[in-house]
Amino acid sequence: MVAKKLNLKDKYSLLTRDLDWDYDYADRKEAFPYEDFEGIKITDWSKWEDPFRLTMDSYWKYQAEKEKKLYAIFDAFAQNNGHLNVTDARYVNALKIFLTGVSPLEYQAYQGYAHVGRQFSGAGARIACQLQSIDELRHVQTQIHAMSHYNKFFDGLQDWTHMHDRVWYLSVTKSFFDDARSAGPFEFLIAISFSFEYVLTNLLFVPFMSGAAHNGDMATCTFGFSAQSDEARHMTLGLEIIKFLLEQHEDNVPIVQKWIDKWFWRGTRLLSIVAMMMDYMLPNKVMSWKEAWEVYFEDAGGALFKDLARYGIRMPKFVETTAKEKEHISHQTWWIFYNYGHAAAFHTWIPSEEELDWLSEKYPDTFDKYYRPRWELAREMEERGERFYTQELPQLCTTCQIPMAFTEMDDPTMISYRASDYEGEKYHFCSDGCKHIFDQEPEKFSQSWLPVNQIYQGNCGGPGVEDVLRDYYKINLGHDNMDFNGSPDEQRWNAWKGTEKDAKNKDAKDKDKDVA
Amino acid sequence: MSYQVTVEPTGDVFEVEEGQTLLDAALRQGIWLPFACGHGTCGTCKVQVLEGDADVGAASPFALMDMERDEGVVLACCALPESDLVIEADVDVDPDFSGYPIEDYQATVVAMEDLSPTIKGVRLQLDRPMQFQEGQYVNLNLPGVEGTRAFSIANSCADAGYIDLHVRLVPGGKGTSWIHQSMHTGDELKISGPYGQFFVRKSDDKDVIFIVGGSGLSSALSMIQGMLETGDTRQIFLFQGARNLVELYKREVLTALAEQYSNFHYIPALSEVSEAEQWNGFCGFVHEAANSHFDGRLAGHKAYLCGPPPMIDAAITMLMQGRVFEADIHMEKFLTASDGAKADSRSALFKRI
Repeated sequence: MVAKKLNLKDKYSLLTRDLDWDYDYADRKEAFPYEDFEGIKITDWSKWEDPFRLTMDSYWKYQAEKEKKLYAIFDAFAQNNGHLNVTDARYVNALKIFLTGVSPLEYQAYQGYAHVGRQFSGAGARIACQLQSIDELRHVQTQIHAMSHYNKFFDGLQDWTHMHDRVWYLSVTKSFFDDARSAGPFEFLIAISFSFEYVLTNLLFVPFMSGAAHNGDMATCTFGFSAQSDEARHMTLGLEIIKFLLEQHEDNVPIVQKWIDKWFWRGTRLLSIVAMMMDYMLPNKVMSWKEAWEVYFEDAGGALFKDLARYGIRMPKFVETTAKEKEHISHQTWWIFYNYGHAAAFHTWIPSEEELDWLSEKYPDTFDKYYRPRWELAREMEERGERFYTQELPQLCTTCQIPMAFTEMDDPTMISYRASDYEGEKYHFCSDGCKHIFDQEPEKFSQSWLPVNQIYQGNCGGPGVEDVLRDYYKINLGHDNMDFNGSPDEQRWNAWKGTEKDAKNKDAKDKDKDVA
Repeated sequence: MSYQVTVEPTGDVFEVEEGQTLLDAALRQGIWLPFACGHGTCGTCKVQVLEGDADVGAASPFALMDMERDEGVVLACCALPESDLVIEADVDVDPDFSGYPIEDYQATVVAMEDLSPTIKGVRLQLDRPMQFQEGQYVNLNLPGVEGTRAFSIANSCADAGYIDLHVRLVPGGKGTSWIHQSMHTGDELKISGPYGQFFVRKSDDKDVIFIVGGSGLSSALSMIQGMLETGDTRQIFLFQGARNLVELYKREVLTALAEQYSNFHYIPALSEVSEAEQWNGFCGFVHEAANSHFDGRLAGHKAYLCGPPPMIDAAITMLMQGRVFEADIHMEKFLTASDGAKADSRSALFKRI
């Protein structure tokens, strides 16, 4: 007799939720101590609808197949010197930002989901988080492997974990996740699963993966597809958590709204780095940041918030500001990095004439008026041998930790400056959104580890900026930093491609021997 | 050229046009399948093809593995049918769904009456009794009209040899125009059924709210009669909306039912009352009538909605603000051909509403 095959639902239930147990001699509240303090009320965990039904046996089976396929491509890429097929060595700087700024966040996500996967008393939510935790660990590993090949041939990729913990602009991404992980378990899920993985994920992934695909980077493109195939679980977890919280108790609605407001704004600030990458760092452009924002947030997010309105959830606070920022944010961010290019572990450059034309076309209302003249001036100065770097350390926004160089969106010639007083100290912000977030939780954000403040307090070595960059950040000065023009990266690239004859740099020769 | 796709285990059926993906066709026809990215990279919409052939389309090799392709798994968001299909999807069968087989019947028109200036009642006698659940619908083949037209069954299954329909005249609609203008008693039609996932969830003991508009009363009437006839003791509230008094059809029948059964409550609402009409009932939209009746607190009820899309939309918002959510909201949208064309882009937040 053939045993009747269990359907997916029954199988999942027997192999997952059914493994939970009742607490008869221990106090359930003590076992799950973090479940209450955020004010979230859960009346019935059994109402949790599993966002996906994947048992561990099939999980390992599928993931193993994905890995086999992915690593076969990595091997082929490395054996064929795949780095030589990218459009231009400038492109690799986007990877440097990704590896130092984003891949460590995958690791933080792994840690964060492992933590909250322990903290929910509902078994369904615990399992969903644990599976996502394992996915995230896989993502960071595949990213490291995808980029390890580039580390053999390009500068700036060699010490990414160390840099992530210390370097000023990487604190923008690090502090975003630190904030989420030091929040309660429900806020973590609204921050990462809902706001980031669901609402904003396409704005991170599509630019990087399409960017890779458009610029001949097969390794990054393939790990992107591999990661995307796990994202389904992450997105559906984001949807389930928000529905579940909103349906469990009406008192949850204002708390969830507050978190959506906060994490939407935190997310848009984080994405300003992606914005500059799309508009300035990809030799072959995919679409402009403004277009991406319109497609992936304004259209798709609009449909989502229309549905959420039924629960009494409104659009995130300051969403009207983002409609203006999409015209400016990429230009202002690249300008910040151009100014501080001596202090970054990747290269910056002035857009070519062709690229300036593309930006003029994509940003007809703002680029010619505010930004093109600035780049043309920078080019004139560079041609006179006066490529400048701003020597003063910038003031940072206490919330997003980006240098305070964004402008008022209604007046792009005026720096946006906000401040709050808390316990006798003054705190500074780049925007109403960041000030609002601080004002909601001053006791948390007043403890921010702001890189510039830490340098001035003497906590990062010194005394000079170069000492900090070299000894504390471990930036390889003269190699990792400064303009792309004249960089060892550029010289090696030209030598490999035979495009310029002056590639006689000694260092370039050293690295060259790996390729020959 | 179009293909017919049957979804197991629910038995839902939808049509897919040449070059259209399974997911697009299903969602446009009100059949929910799991999905997320919509472009072949995430794998949420995996379905197993049980019968027939489909092209896997642009599925990412990471979202749809080779071993799955070998086993006939496809991603609904990319797959293009190459024949009629039977697919198995990760969707739950409702425990209250009886799954009566869909069959073809020969029907004779035995009675017609004007229920209101725009709604005609049609009684069909079948060549043999049809097993159905109250709330389900049938498809009619009408002479000279391409394709089939769906109408909800308005009678309870106590008289299974007959099918009552309430047909609202859709301006410019070919099918409803034919019924209103050319159908006569004695006409013979081919019909098939029963279809749909709209029926009373008997395993759930919550009190019940019906919110109906226009000819949407048909399925509610069938369901309510079925419940009352079988001695259901739940409190049943029917909110019936119409523009004006002449469109508020079956009022006498419903008032009489409310007098006969103490657990049935009938609350009609008129949205465009004129001075001339003697109306002491609720003035306003039908969802407002329900909201006002429960003072905005509707938690603990099951809701069944049937009527035109704007009414359904307003009722869902009202219910959710009154804390009745997707799991307790069941609906049958009365779509016309013009409604289907202007489907908005929607998020993946809700499955069924």
